[in-house]
Amino acid sequence: MDEKKAALMQRLETEAAELMRQIRAEADIEKKKKLIVKRDSIQRKLTATRNNRRISRETKRDLVAYSFIAPNFIGFAVFTLVPIVFAFLLAFMNWDGSNAISFVGFDNFKRMPTDTFFLAALKNTILYVLGTVPLTMIASLALAIVLNQKIRARGFFRTVAFFPYVASLAAITAVWSMIFHPSKGPVNYILYKVFSVPQDQLPKWFSGSLVLVTLVLFSVWKYMGYYMVIYLAGLQGISAELYEAGSLDGANTWQKFCYITWPQLRSTTFFVVVMLTINCFKVYDIAVMLAGGGDGKLSTSATVLVYYIYQNAFNYWDLGYSSAIAMVLFVMVLIVTLIQFRYEKKLEA
Amino acid sequence: MNGINDNATNKKYKSKRKNEIIGKIFLYAILLLITICMILPFLWMLSASIKSNREVFVMDPFVWIPKQPKWDNYVKIWTKIPLLKFVQNTVVLTIVVTLLQLLTSSFAAYSFAKLDFKHKNKLFLAYIATIAMPWQVYMVPQFIMMRSMGLNDKLLAMICLQAFSAFGVFLMKQFYEGIPNDLCEAARIDGMSEYRIYAKIMLPLSKPALSTLTIFTFVNTWNDYLGPLIYLRTETKKTIQLGLKMFIGQYSAEYGLIMAGSVVSLVPVIIVFLCLQKYFVEGVASTGLKG
Amino acid sequence: MKRRLVSVMLSTVMLSTVLAGCGGNTAQGPVAETPAVEEPTEAETSDAGESAEEPAAAADEEITLKWAIWDKDITPYWQAIKDGYEATHPGVTVEMTDLGATDYMTVLATELSGSGSDFDVVTIKDVPGYATLVSKNTLEPLDSYIADAGIDLSLYGGVDSQVRVDGNLYELPFRNDFWVVFYNKDIFDAAGVDYPTNDMTFEQYDELARKLADPTFGSQVYGTHYHTWRSAVQLFGVLDGKHTVMDGNYDFFRPYYEMVLKQEDDSICRNYADLSAEGLHYSAAFSGGDVAMLNMGSWYISTLIASLASGEYDTSLCGNWGIVKYPHAEGVEPGSTLGTITGLAVAGVSDQKDAAFDFVEWVSGPEGAAVMAATGNFPALMNDEISEIIAGLDGFPTDEASREALSVSNLYLEVPYAEKVSEVNDILDTYHKSIMNREVSIDDGIASMNTEVEKILAQ
Repeated sequence: MDEKKAALMQRLETEAAELMRQIRAEADIEKKKKLIVKRDSIQRKLTATRNNRRISRETKRDLVAYSFIAPNFIGFAVFTLVPIVFAFLLAFMNWDGSNAISFVGFDNFKRMPTDTFFLAALKNTILYVLGTVPLTMIASLALAIVLNQKIRARGFFRTVAFFPYVASLAAITAVWSMIFHPSKGPVNYILYKVFSVPQDQLPKWFSGSLVLVTLVLFSVWKYMGYYMVIYLAGLQGISAELYEAGSLDGANTWQKFCYITWPQLRSTTFFVVVMLTINCFKVYDIAVMLAGGGDGKLSTSATVLVYYIYQNAFNYWDLGYSSAIAMVLFVMVLIVTLIQFRYEKKLEA
Repeated sequence: MNGINDNATNKKYKSKRKNEIIGKIFLYAILLLITICMILPFLWMLSASIKSNREVFVMDPFVWIPKQPKWDNYVKIWTKIPLLKFVQNTVVLTIVVTLLQLLTSSFAAYSFAKLDFKHKNKLFLAYIATIAMPWQVYMVPQFIMMRSMGLNDKLLAMICLQAFSAFGVFLMKQFYEGIPNDLCEAARIDGMSEYRIYAKIMLPLSKPALSTLTIFTFVNTWNDYLGPLIYLRTETKKTIQLGLKMFIGQYSAEYGLIMAGSVVSLVPVIIVFLCLQKYFVEGVASTGLKG
Repeated sequence: MKRRLVSVMLSTVMLSTVLAGCGGNTAQGPVAETPAVEEPTEAETSDAGESAEEPAAAADEEITLKWAIWDKDITPYWQAIKDGYEATHPGVTVEMTDLGATDYMTVLATELSGSGSDFDVVTIKDVPGYATLVSKNTLEPLDSYIADAGIDLSLYGGVDSQVRVDGNLYELPFRNDFWVVFYNKDIFDAAGVDYPTNDMTFEQYDELARKLADPTFGSQVYGTHYHTWRSAVQLFGVLDGKHTVMDGNYDFFRPYYEMVLKQEDDSICRNYADLSAEGLHYSAAFSGGDVAMLNMGSWYISTLIASLASGEYDTSLCGNWGIVKYPHAEGVEPGSTLGTITGLAVAGVSDQKDAAFDFVEWVSGPEGAAVMAATGNFPALMNDEISEIIAGLDGFPTDEASREALSVSNLYLEVPYAEKVSEVNDILDTYHKSIMNREVSIDDGIASMNTEVEKILAQ
């Protein structure tokens, strides 16, 4: 036993010495760092062997840390990571969920450019994102600034603004489809009575080109409270001294916003825009519930990518194609997110 | 105030006050407008829930409370569809998911925020990457996998899916990083184990973050539609959102009933929100929110 | 519990093996590895079979058949069929599982392709869903059973030939509904207009609707009503028997879209955009007492009778109703109509297929037909006797025309079987929506149907 230990220590010591020499000789800082890390780990092993400990302190530390992570990570890995990997593979396969899987290469992707419904879904999704992201951002920022003032019943107003986010979609879409009902709803009634819009020109909020507008309006209404809360958090992080200094310099409210609030909120805005973009690309239930009519089917004017993914997967059982479209969605989200990261980095520099 | 003094400073002061008052009035006017936009649909929902089908669409004259309120709409909804069963399912699901989420996320987040270990960055990257991944991208393979595990059409499937989100870990980690390391170090020197530090020091301190996560998780689970739509097939296992949608489909012309059902589905979420809201803004604020 | 845990772990391992295989050599890996994915399915199935058989062994040859259905509470015949079969077959228990009516076929397809399904008999709600199940190899071909039992398929009036897949039959119809025109006699009386007849051309139908419509606010009456389904309009076009919805060229829809949209413009019927925004159900429309005619399936007869009897519908609004045959195009024999069949199939995973088929045979045979007719529904096995039972039901209109409307001269399936029927169905639905919402012109809508369906059929 002791002999073995001595031999091991001998070997480790020579290794450490050898590394030490290499470190001195190495000119490249990056490589040097790596070598140092390597030497440290050998050094630790050496100490552990010397002190006759079977598990080093580091290993123990790692184990404790892993034990904290494990409950969440195991669930996360099994139910999220594995399916994600599977999704990547399935995009290149042909499978109906029952019969044999076959590999089809890029065939699923090649189908897309001629698929009218895919193209319509793609176009609508992009338009929806382009409409919803900036509007929600502006609305929530404005709301946050107003509700960050010292005003009476601030808590009440904040709660009210957060209300639509909390409410269930099925319930409020039902209210919206009544309020915006093309012939009987209060909105069109007001347009008719107050603004004397002729009856046959009253907008049909849930069909044609207007349906996307309705979807965007609804989304802004529903989600601005949520992003307002995030902006509020950001606003509270701005030091009051900055504003005082601004006042001394004679800045008006608008100038204060441009030169203090907006730059200070940069990282919050970045977070808001990233989350908004991701969430908007995922639009599905809003579209189905607002524009689906009785049977929940979407026509080409309202179809969105996730709807088409669902359709292909659970109605046509074309799981490969469905996954391939999902990949397109993912790549789009990824590209947009990366551009935003790039932009954020550039601003920081 | 003292209106007798008539010097220049006072005048200036007065006009400044006047501006402020006008500004305040303007501010409140805007707030009122926003409030109306936000809350009107809900008031309308409440009002429609006690109306008959005919009254719902009567605009001229419009009344908020009909002469004969149909309170029995609130009784009928429980018998027309198995709403009680749906509510039970949703309550069980939401509570279990929220508890699991709080527990496992805060546990994992402590490790990421306060401990050093091998592959820490790699593991965290795995979490972060999935936040950017829309669920729909992998919902199909996930479904296939769950099915092969025999979890199809079981509430357990929904629990497994929603309890281990990357978002929870991310949120809690951001919060824990805001708590000074000295606290932990001191405790370590006193010989406290990491588990005790977590339980005795970190957890009590993280009330705001925990409330934030509770609201997010609760709202998401309670209102989830697509998940239950795919996984829960049999009637007796459905959740309130599916029930509500089913209700809208089956009793399409019974607007009063639909609205009553909607009101019922809102109540629990609003209660949870009101209970936790004082911690709420504080919670989001302290997570730092650095993308 | 323990068993489930094991199977969970097992399938996880299996899955990761598959994934590893796929990652390693994608070219042929997946094909070779496929059985691994299927394995847990089989393991689970036999597992489920065992638990189903356990009580059987205990209580002397008892059989439990698990049967997939929808809307147990509001559809009276499921229970009646179960009771009828159990009464004549001692030792057999039929256990119904309600999968809900919305998305029934999707749910069923998911159930059957998954592990852990233990259905013996499944109800087939529509043809697209049937096509999916067949292509996924989840149903048992019934021809050999049919031959053994000596069933005469000609009794089904030829509908069986419209759901054959490559010469094989996978379902037996037990219910057969066809489209008729419901009308509200009170509205006709009030307007002083003669009731519709069993021999009515589309021109006459349109004229009638226009005569009855009354746009006066407050006492508005609609001459006719079209539910939001595409069938409500498109089926007019297939009545002549020369076209089907699987044709690939839909120019024959044009006159009917023109007629319906014109009626909308003139406030003869409710407009589609409104209907779809509020999701108005056809039953709510007809029972409201302001719709003179409604083209709808015969399934509505039993609902109407039952709802009027229970007081759910106001008898003063729609209690005085009648039915006539579908209108027909000039030169086509009256009495042609479109039908939908509801069938029963034996699940491929069932381990008691003979017992399951016996149930299927009984339900779609004369005994089952009698049970269906007694509940006011139309069995697939239609003959004069059955018509008599239905016409004799309490609450069925007493006039001769309504009775006569039950006899059908030509029955075409709304959607006959074809390979890509689900996709085609969705395309027609989508563009129906666009046309009716006035998002596109009739010509453009039909042109899109033609090109899109052509693309699907070419695949």
